[in-house]
Amino acid sequence: MINFEKVFKRYPGNMDALQNINLEILPAELVFVTGPSGAGKSTLLKLISSIEKSTSGTIVFENMNLSQLKAKDIPYLRRKFGMIFQDHKLLYDRNCSENVSLPLAINNIGGLDINRRVRAALDKVGLLNKEKIMPISLSGGEQQRLAIARAIVSRPSILIADEPTGNLDKEYADEIMNIFYSFQQVGVTVIISTHELPITPIKHKNIHLIGGELKDQTNYVQLLS
Amino acid sequence: MFNYFHNHFQAFNRALVRIFSNFGSSLMMFIVIGVTLFLPSSGLLIVENISQISNNIVYDAELSLFLKKDIKQDQIDFIQSALNKTLAVKKTHFESKLTAWDKLQNKLNLNPIDTGISENPLPDAFFISLNTFNEKEINNLIDNLKTIDGVENIFFDAGWIKKLRSILYLLKIGLAFLGIILIIVLIVVISNTIRLQTLTHKDEIEVSKLIGATNSFIQRPFMYTGLMYGLGGGLITICTLKLTIEIFNKAAINLEVMLGGTFILKNLIWQQNLSIIIIAILIGCFASFFAAQQSIKKLETFK
Repeated sequence: MINFEKVFKRYPGNMDALQNINLEILPAELVFVTGPSGAGKSTLLKLISSIEKSTSGTIVFENMNLSQLKAKDIPYLRRKFGMIFQDHKLLYDRNCSENVSLPLAINNIGGLDINRRVRAALDKVGLLNKEKIMPISLSGGEQQRLAIARAIVSRPSILIADEPTGNLDKEYADEIMNIFYSFQQVGVTVIISTHELPITPIKHKNIHLIGGELKDQTNYVQLLS
Repeated sequence: MFNYFHNHFQAFNRALVRIFSNFGSSLMMFIVIGVTLFLPSSGLLIVENISQISNNIVYDAELSLFLKKDIKQDQIDFIQSALNKTLAVKKTHFESKLTAWDKLQNKLNLNPIDTGISENPLPDAFFISLNTFNEKEINNLIDNLKTIDGVENIFFDAGWIKKLRSILYLLKIGLAFLGIILIIVLIVVISNTIRLQTLTHKDEIEVSKLIGATNSFIQRPFMYTGLMYGLGGGLITICTLKLTIEIFNKAAINLEVMLGGTFILKNLIWQQNLSIIIIAILIGCFASFFAAQQSIKKLETFK
């Protein structure tokens, strides 16, 4: 589904964020990208979602070479992903329902369909009763769940989450992780960057980065049952 | 197709919300556009009215129609009646060659014996006042008159019309330059306002881009905001023009009583008013498109 081949990313100032990355992500896989701060986790996710462009190497997604993508095609590519950020990136002047409906408007989905899909997405993350509430009134965990609802409302095949539990305490973090696992169970590819590999009963892959280099790429089968 | 219009409707709604949530600054923008467009528009109004005033009090276009020397009275009567039936002719004055000769002699103090002129050299003539300045109509009339038997020569006194037209033409060019300069000023002012708005909505733009919005999707609400600025400004221009005309005309009534003549300013016709509004809207749309496009480009991370 996603293939990295000899991918390098260098930021201005000759700072190498990623070096010679080779990896493969399969459909419906649960992938954790782990490593300390500055390891290149966020950069890796940004390259997948075409927020950043690689300096060299090839990234292939669904037979598209992302390194050669034209600027006008980027928005259409990003619509295939559901993106979740550590700082939620919610619109605080719009209520929960309006935040979740934004990707639908972008995808040219209108009318009654919007309302139905927004309610379904909010229901999935347990926020159906907070449709008209402004995000600022929600707790950190609820805000992240709202961000997840926004990411899943257009039914993407890949969810990309950049340290989604970084600002949350353990209880909320587990709640958020469980939501991700539930999506992976129904066939969505889930890629999550995190400092530490969480303990999960689900089969998953760990891509471990240190200093921009891929140190380990391990498939973990069910450890706990 | 429904979804497309639904999205435009949503963008329009967002623009309306932005306008009303900052109504004070939006009103200021309407006034800036309105007053700026008022300057060339009032110039246009003055030029249009000068044309009408000059028609009323200054001058009638005149034709001088000289007849053949051997023309008979029957033919003169025929020409007179033909002129009377012509729509473009306001009034005619016949000057017989005898009268003309007497007038000339009196005016120049001539004595035929002294000058050696044994016979009257002047022809009979009609002096025709026209009720049109339209060059095409006048040329048609001249062509028709030339075909009448007994007509020797026709002269058209176009001096006044040419001078008037030259002045009006120069005024129009001046107004066009003024208009272009003011349009550029407006584009800069609106662009700057929209640019500030894009900074206010930076987070929204960033998030929208991250989740797959195209530039045109992001630009849309800003375009509608620019459109509304233009519409509001255009309407203020029209209202200010009407108010100015009302005030001027009230004052002009006193002037009429003292000097006679017509000094009433007439309103621009509805097509001209509509053009002012359309121009204002286009300026608003163009400026906001330009500003939003520049701001969105700056936020692009995929380079």
